[in-house]
Amino acid sequence: MDFLSKAARKSPWLYRINAGSCNGCDVELATTACIPRYDVERLGCQYCGSPKHADIVLITGPLTARVKDKVLRVYDEIPDPKVTVAIGVCPISGGVFRESYAIEGPIDRYLPVDVNVPGCPPRPQAIIEGIAKAIEIWAKRA
Amino acid sequence: MAFLKILLDNLRKGPATEAFPFGEATTPDAYRGKVTFDETSCVGCNMCEHVCAGGAIRFSEKEDGLHFLIWHNTCISCGLCAHYCPTKAIKLSNNWHLSHLQEEKYEQVDHAVVPYRECTSCGKRLQPGGPMLHQLAFKGANPRSERLMNMCPDCRRKVSYIGEAV
Repeated sequence: MDFLSKAARKSPWLYRINAGSCNGCDVELATTACIPRYDVERLGCQYCGSPKHADIVLITGPLTARVKDKVLRVYDEIPDPKVTVAIGVCPISGGVFRESYAIEGPIDRYLPVDVNVPGCPPRPQAIIEGIAKAIEIWAKRA
Repeated sequence: MAFLKILLDNLRKGPATEAFPFGEATTPDAYRGKVTFDETSCVGCNMCEHVCAGGAIRFSEKEDGLHFLIWHNTCISCGLCAHYCPTKAIKLSNNWHLSHLQEEKYEQVDHAVVPYRECTSCGKRLQPGGPMLHQLAFKGANPRSERLMNMCPDCRRKVSYIGEAV
């Protein structure tokens, strides 16, 4: 088991949650992972499809009223310990949707966020920088 | 056998992956990143606050001057503020290193004060134009315009129409 936790420390799996994002940040996240120019997998992490496999959660979008319960439910399925990264200005402050009737965010009212990556959307390098910070936190928690 | 040529080319060119975060990342000069503010050229027209799409900019009038606040966590880097700023006091730098830990979330603010000055003639409080506006309005320095610049609108009118008697 010691070996497994050591290995997990070096290879966190990423999971994306779209909390009502416009898809701009999601495109940048896909770019960060899929385009050889940025290649986030150099840092030892990879995207996974199931919340139960996730270590680092990347949340985009301002947490719309309609999607709030679903996001919280998916978030609860991710096993502890986990590191939460808010991608884009929307989950951090609401961005241009701030104070709208359809918005429940900022997301740190409901979830414990660890790293914020502001931008609209943040460029892939900025996302990699944020993920690098999340991996540092993950290494302490795992 | 065309693939051999591609293989050789790729060997010669090296990896396409950017070195970041292990090295420096390339950033275009025109990249719209963190907003910078120069309080010496701001004329206090509040246009940036008016056009700000995310409502990230706030001006407030206080005793010592005009207080400027920008929340980088609400700024969407659209560049409207820089586009509409008459004196180019507000600009978007190509600094994109904005990611931070949650503990630092409420420190992502820049604050500046555009100080008020006193009218050189009557001592009334006034919003200074600054050298940048002077340059824009009069196309270069000129002693008369510089003198008028430091006066309140009332005194300026008197000097302009009645003459130098004031």
